[in-house]
Amino acid sequence: MAFTITCPVCGIRRGYEFRFGGEDKGPRPPEENLTSETWCEYVHMNNCIAGIQKEWWFHRDGCGSWFTIYRDTTTNQQVENR
Amino acid sequence: MRLKSNSNINGRLWGWDPPLKSSYDAVIIGGGLHGLATAYFLARHHGMSSVAVIEKRYIGFGGSGRNTAIVRANQRTQENLPLYKEALEMWPVLTRELDFNLMFYNCGNLNLAHSEAALKAMRLQVASAQFHGIQSQMVDPKQCKTLIPALDISDRPRYPIYGGMYHPPGGIVRHDAVVWGLAKGAARKGIHIHQGTEVKGMGVKNQKIVSVETDKGKINTSRVLNAAGGYSAALSYQMLGIRLPISVLTIQAMVTQPLKPLLNHVVSSGAYHCYANQTLKGEIATGAHMDPWPNYTNQSTARYIKHQAEAVTEFLPCLKGVKFMRIWGGLADMTPDMAPIINGNDPIKGYYIDCGWGYFGFKSCLVTGKYMAKFMADGTCPNILKPFTLRRFEQHRLMGETAAVVNYSPDN
Repeated sequence: MAFTITCPVCGIRRGYEFRFGGEDKGPRPPEENLTSETWCEYVHMNNCIAGIQKEWWFHRDGCGSWFTIYRDTTTNQQVENR
Repeated sequence: MRLKSNSNINGRLWGWDPPLKSSYDAVIIGGGLHGLATAYFLARHHGMSSVAVIEKRYIGFGGSGRNTAIVRANQRTQENLPLYKEALEMWPVLTRELDFNLMFYNCGNLNLAHSEAALKAMRLQVASAQFHGIQSQMVDPKQCKTLIPALDISDRPRYPIYGGMYHPPGGIVRHDAVVWGLAKGAARKGIHIHQGTEVKGMGVKNQKIVSVETDKGKINTSRVLNAAGGYSAALSYQMLGIRLPISVLTIQAMVTQPLKPLLNHVVSSGAYHCYANQTLKGEIATGAHMDPWPNYTNQSTARYIKHQAEAVTEFLPCLKGVKFMRIWGGLADMTPDMAPIINGNDPIKGYYIDCGWGYFGFKSCLVTGKYMAKFMADGTCPNILKPFTLRRFEQHRLMGETAAVVNYSPDN
């Protein structure tokens, strides 16, 4: 089955129009008293869930929006936003 | 999923299906090449034979049986070069030692440059390799053509060939043979290989590993190695809450119908992002592509069959019209710096990690197994593995190995 992503602006589009933007890790940690460990956690570390995860996408070949979706990493299917 | 034929496979290869004991000196998660090699060397060099290899499916199911079997030592950074050099030297040694033909064919690797910038980068890579005593040299387009007469060195292709980097001692190894040879060798030394057995959890007490839970029962142990390849990061997070800087992508490869011998070296091209070699059966094995978003599907995609066909026929035009016979995908655990993560006793005593190899896991399996076994036996990290610690990410000491290949992590 073709891999599609639903862009909030353009609707359902082919997956290759988009660029993956990383797992959703919450807000960027505040600069004040920021330790190397916290920064490393935010920048590099991933959960690598085999299942449904919340993640960022960028509509590179489209409207240029950044948005989050839920996707099942074992099937590549986007699931309803929860 | 336990295959009925498992006992047959075991029977042919190593004679018996061992019972799952309630305690082992060490438990290795993942019956792939890194896990099996570590188990083998634990028994061979350190006299540890009370070791279990736990494999959820069957040995060689993951990357070990899905790679394109290419071996080479011309990496880029000073931390990586010595490791891959020793790795390359181990194939003939292990063939004798295991008494199993690993079919090492040192046909040499030719890496093509399609721009001045690529040539410049190769000069640095060649110089680094030579400094470490690894045979590697620059070649001009004519020499490329002498090595592989089928190459198109004219200015017809979109990216004409400017030259290349030739690495004579590299080549290909039969990957399945390495899986079987190591499993047989390990089992002969008393290692228990449990296929169709799934790890469900790990017991930790006072920051020390005490047990491993499997679907066949609990194992008491003080040492666990996470060598689960593409699944290692998910396992580490799910079972111990330890996150790793890994993105798991599916990498694809394919083979053509068998042809008469025409390609007697491994040829690769960064610009076309493609590598190809002719197997002993005559098929052209080619691959390298990844869909750049994390997934565990092992899927192959039409987009890359097309790309691969276009890329490989650009510099090997004689392959036009040849049909692909098979295509497959495997998981690659990519790190931000394209270098592996090798860690132990930090932050949990007795928990060892050997993962993040991306697509370098095949060529490095023997040497890593050797040193990982030493690490697990003494509890101190051998010098050659020290640079690969997980702590390097928070210390901002990422390695420059990204520059050696096209970076396929989703982070760039």
